[in-house]
Amino acid sequence: MSAPPAGSPGLHVVGDAAPGFPPPRGGYASAAYGNTQPEGAKVTWLTVRPDGTAVAYAGKVELGQGIRTGLAIEVADELRLPLEAVEVVLGDTDRVPWDMGTFGSQSTARVGLQLRRAAATAREALLRLAADHFDLPPEDLNAEGGRVVSRSDPNRAVTYASLLADRSAALDIDESAPLTPAARFAAMGSQQRRVDARERVTGRARYSQDVMLDGMVFAAVLRPPSRGATLASVDVSIAERLPGVAGVVRDDGLVAVLADSDERAVAALAAVQARWDEPSDPPSHLDLPAVLQQTARDPFVMQEAGSLDEGFRLADGVLETVYFLPYVSNAPMEPRAAVALWEGDGLTVWAGTQRPFGIRAELAQRLGIDESRVRVIAPEVGGGFGSKSPYPIAYEAAQLARIVGRPVRVAYTRLEDMTYATFRPAALITVRSGFKADGAIVAWQFDACHAGERAPIGRRGSESPYDTPHVKVTTYSSDSPLPSGSYRSLGGAVNHFARESHIDEIAAAIGVDPVELRLRNLSHKRFRRVLESAAGRHGWSGAKSPSGRGVGVAVGLDVGSYAATCVDLDVVGTEVRVRRVTVALDCGLTVNPDGAINQVEGSIVMGMGTALYEAIDFQNGRVLNAGFARYRVPRTSDAPVIETVLVGDDETPSTGAGEPAMVPIAAAIANAVFDRTGQRIRELPIQRHLR
Amino acid sequence: MITLWINGKPYEAAEPGRSLLSFIRFDAGLTGTKYGCGDGLCGACTVLVDGQALRACGTTVGAVAGGSITTIEGLERDGGLHPLQEAFIEESAMQCGYCVPGFIMTSAALLAQVPRPSDGQIREALTQNMCRCGTYQRIIRAVERAAQNMAGDAP
Repeated sequence: MSAPPAGSPGLHVVGDAAPGFPPPRGGYASAAYGNTQPEGAKVTWLTVRPDGTAVAYAGKVELGQGIRTGLAIEVADELRLPLEAVEVVLGDTDRVPWDMGTFGSQSTARVGLQLRRAAATAREALLRLAADHFDLPPEDLNAEGGRVVSRSDPNRAVTYASLLADRSAALDIDESAPLTPAARFAAMGSQQRRVDARERVTGRARYSQDVMLDGMVFAAVLRPPSRGATLASVDVSIAERLPGVAGVVRDDGLVAVLADSDERAVAALAAVQARWDEPSDPPSHLDLPAVLQQTARDPFVMQEAGSLDEGFRLADGVLETVYFLPYVSNAPMEPRAAVALWEGDGLTVWAGTQRPFGIRAELAQRLGIDESRVRVIAPEVGGGFGSKSPYPIAYEAAQLARIVGRPVRVAYTRLEDMTYATFRPAALITVRSGFKADGAIVAWQFDACHAGERAPIGRRGSESPYDTPHVKVTTYSSDSPLPSGSYRSLGGAVNHFARESHIDEIAAAIGVDPVELRLRNLSHKRFRRVLESAAGRHGWSGAKSPSGRGVGVAVGLDVGSYAATCVDLDVVGTEVRVRRVTVALDCGLTVNPDGAINQVEGSIVMGMGTALYEAIDFQNGRVLNAGFARYRVPRTSDAPVIETVLVGDDETPSTGAGEPAMVPIAAAIANAVFDRTGQRIRELPIQRHLR
Repeated sequence: MITLWINGKPYEAAEPGRSLLSFIRFDAGLTGTKYGCGDGLCGACTVLVDGQALRACGTTVGAVAGGSITTIEGLERDGGLHPLQEAFIEESAMQCGYCVPGFIMTSAALLAQVPRPSDGQIREALTQNMCRCGTYQRIIRAVERAAQNMAGDAP
């Protein structure tokens, strides 16, 4: 997307395509996906239309995190407009600024700030126009409710619409335009409903699964029975003759039936006879801990201080424990779907992806056409949690549509979406600690083996925040029998489970209350504040664990935000009933508090699933438990009462809210299970290992 | 030809074996009813057939011939939202929103039978509907609010 055409009416604010690119930390996305670079030209971030309303553009997608609402709130407050007067356009590569992708809780922190600056630039420009209009000094003028009003004479007021009239102007983002102070926030920081709620409750919200075009045919694609299988031979002669079949395509490994209905395509695919060569004797989920241990390589030191030898020499007690986390599935409610339409040599693909620009680059490259000929539209996305960054069916739809000359729809079934997917990296983590009799942790050795060659995705969150003087945290990459990929907080929740479980084991070993032990070792102010807030609100009363009560605690840091979680639960046989969860979150300035709380609640429910029920089983290259009959996720009846306390202050820049509550919850649950039963479960999911 | 009545309008279906969900979405073009799992386990495709909540993915057109079907698009009355739709907005009982139509339809069937359900009855009725974003607490609150409003004792 480029600057607006000359003469396009309204006040346009333009700026660099990608604020803050590349991200200062992590670099995960470029490592994982080899993303394209942002375009060089200036792009339009915001337009104040001639009628005085505003439209903001962002390359993010709305996948449930509420970013459309959050960005609208920020623009509305900077422009002093009612929320209804702000439209936010997302996820359409022809209409919005380049963006690396929607992950890592960067939307509010980066794009939100960019849009606030753009809106502040526009507001200042409107004030200048009004100053000319009234011939008054700008200091006498105040923007409010879509109007500029004189402070000295409130009868002198002019609407943005009259100021703009049929004017057309483009301004660069002015980094010095003053951002609205917290005291003047109208929408920011207060309770707001989602701006896109009505579409969601009426069924009008359109997802990639819902895209239908005139003349569209439905594809069913032949997929390998196991990971690594290659097609030896295929016979499509029966499938071709079945009713409704428009054609069978065989193109360089892509075999697909195209039919006039979804069911006829599936029926015809069942009549395709294929023989496959499969790899012999691949590892199963039972082999996973051994695979992780035996193939560990590429040690990467995440944190180092002092000397471990010295630390362990100083210690009164030493504890060494091993934790194992299996692969888990993102399993968003909407399975991926893609629809492709060619018009001449131009291609449009609707795909509910977290990376519309990355998918555009992939399509251009694989199809051998210029990126400018490709438009990717991510409509509403029915959940993702990281899983919709890879979107291979976008290419399948595009290639099939090119071959048959009609729009083509490729949609995964639930089983396909959970099988031909990526999974949160499995991990084997060894923690060895040394501590004094008073609970001071003096040595901390953390060795984590994460499945997957793309090492950075497992590393996140492995550093210890405690005051320990002698520390070494090392991560390793191990073979990954299944494709590992992005998942809410990536390694954050994985590494935190091991660390925060082990901290509790130290507390139990020396007979100190788990909150108290943490406070003795934690001087970081923001960490102490979330921990004290969560414990206070939860009504935590100190006791040596296991107390039989079923209470647990853990703290975490992710994407710059701090979280602490307290849990109450009961154990009935091998069924864990999480009753009540209290979370304190510090994500700095909270633009949309209810949106942040909604994200915390979602993180708790999702993290509860990974703690208690979820593990991907596989054998002979096949996922054994795809689908909801065999893969248990939290249900309405499992849902705990969740209370969220937001403790961030308005002067601290916003950081993410979608992931931080995900990182302490599994350990808090495991710690509460220990407190209730005396059983220390070091291998997830807990319910498989409770006796 | 089979005639289906969906949201008060007649639709002609040629094949009795056609999946009701596919018919509603692709033939009638009513895409508010969602595909989530195809196994009747997630509730995203819930519709009302003669007032009863039914998983459209596990039903054929022939099995509901002559029945009166209501989808999420048919809940509004005279341009106004159903109290459940209002309550889901009020409580922000949604994130990605993909599961919301199914939850609302299951809840509509519940409230028709049990006008003032307890927390336990709501959880039981909704436990076959999945929300992977984890908004259950809000959904339960929204159903309670709608029940209050429908009973006329709004706060």
